[in-house]
Amino acid sequence: MTVFSVRNGLIALARGFFLAGAFSACVQVVPPELVSAIDRIDQQLVALKAPEIAPEEYARFVRQWVPLRARVQSDDDLVRWPWETNELETELRRLHEEGGSTLAKLHGERQAQQHRAQLNVLRVEERLRALSSQIDAIDGRIVLGGKPVQTDLLVKQARSFYDQHDYQRSIEAADLAGKALHVQSALLARELGRYADEQHIRSWQAMAQQAIDWSRTHRSTAIVVSKAERILTLYKNGNKVVSYPVRLGFNGIREKQFQGDGATPEGRYRITDKRGAGRTQFYRALVLDYPNQDDRRRFVQGKKVGRIPAAKQIGGQIEIHGVENELMAQTLGCVMLDNVQMRALFERVEPGSVVSIVGALTGRNAVATALAQLGAHGEET
Amino acid sequence: MNITINRLAPLMLGAILLAGCAKPPAEQIDAAEKAVKEAQMSGAATYTAQEYAKLEASLTAMKKEVTDQDGKFALFRDYGKAEQLATSAKADGERVKADAVKKKEEAKAGALQAQQVAKEAVKSTVELVASAPVGKDRAALEAIKNDVEALKASLNQIQLAIDKEDYPAAQAQAKAIHDKGQAVSAELQNALAKVGKGKPSAHKKK
Repeated sequence: MTVFSVRNGLIALARGFFLAGAFSACVQVVPPELVSAIDRIDQQLVALKAPEIAPEEYARFVRQWVPLRARVQSDDDLVRWPWETNELETELRRLHEEGGSTLAKLHGERQAQQHRAQLNVLRVEERLRALSSQIDAIDGRIVLGGKPVQTDLLVKQARSFYDQHDYQRSIEAADLAGKALHVQSALLARELGRYADEQHIRSWQAMAQQAIDWSRTHRSTAIVVSKAERILTLYKNGNKVVSYPVRLGFNGIREKQFQGDGATPEGRYRITDKRGAGRTQFYRALVLDYPNQDDRRRFVQGKKVGRIPAAKQIGGQIEIHGVENELMAQTLGCVMLDNVQMRALFERVEPGSVVSIVGALTGRNAVATALAQLGAHGEET
Repeated sequence: MNITINRLAPLMLGAILLAGCAKPPAEQIDAAEKAVKEAQMSGAATYTAQEYAKLEASLTAMKKEVTDQDGKFALFRDYGKAEQLATSAKADGERVKADAVKKKEEAKAGALQAQQVAKEAVKSTVELVASAPVGKDRAALEAIKNDVEALKASLNQIQLAIDKEDYPAAQAQAKAIHDKGQAVSAELQNALAKVGKGKPSAHKKK
């Protein structure tokens, strides 16, 4: 072996190394972990429901990802010249960064939306509970008709959407429920606002005082019934004798308008008859002179202005009575007492006695308090 | 040798001209666009949102490839990849459409089933109200009657949502009505338990 041949051998070897190096530099290699990372971003975006909640952002991501992935999978970009930059990898890195930002942004938005939905649903559920409890406390449910159910359904839907992670719809349903609750509160305030109205309270106080004065003047008994507090008070010779809790008609909180409305009338009445055992199905009964002249005048006026439907009758047979059957302890528009108390009242009261049935005797009555609490709750939320 | 070159030259020229006449695969592109459109019409954007987004991205990539080739000098245009993308988009479009139709049908079936369950719950509550004695325990009963009327009316909301093909909303409404119907029935049964064997009232007027 000559020096010449050794030299040629070394040159050949160097060329070989150079070619091998040059060849390896020409092979475009995309780090597989980069591709996997972008794939994970895609999966996380899908898990976040990005295609549904942020379709534009997701579309922007996949518009880049789909062709880039196709390039990774195809052979087109496998070979490049050593002096060329690895464009595919650069684009993938850019998409990785961009996708990561989109993911972080959507994740933050999603969390904020979930938090908002949770808060709204809890708030509206609490408001519904509070309203239902206040309404039940004043027997005002009948006043609202079908509205409580409609609102309840909205609240349930808001919860249902939240459980399905559909936060946007949950927020929308909760907002609607909140508005429905507001409408209910407003309706209650309109229908029962007179219980918080000073002028009405003064008028009722005067009506009660007239009954007490009559009792004093005529050395007789008189009765005052406060509908808001569900209390009947017996007076004799102008002095308070005793108070009993009472129940009213199913719509007793309202002022009677016509027959069958379940409301208990308000006004100054007389006891026209005392019906003992065998003369009433309600244990004992004190029959009132409803409808009196005032009632008839209001009824005619109500029809005239369209507040009372033309076909309606004024009704009658309003009594203070006992319980027909303990299992059926309700009344249609009368004032009802438990039998023991009814017996005591029956024995003390004289025919012709004055009975004043009023909405409330103070401004701080149960209905006014409930309305104030509803108003305060509505403002808080 | 000269004879061979003379014979081959026209063939080579023809091949070059043929390559120069490369045109976009219009038929495949149309088919791909049609498939994507049909997928969209089938509700893919709602029921297979992820797949649909990728499908649209494939279509965009295909169009870009066509535009890129269009921008090249005529002799260097190659629509092979565009054709491949179009074929793939068409196949994906058909698959996504089929998936969307299937999922939509499943959602519809779920909504219809939930609607039926809600209807039965309301019907059972209505029957319970009808069987309640018209005695003097009317406070609870009157309020419950209002509730039942509202529930009956709300059944229409489910149908409206189904008509609008908003099956998730229909399901949520149906579930709410079913739950409320059961709650009202329970309340009514409590009220009836209180009434017990009470006689209907013969009292009139009021």
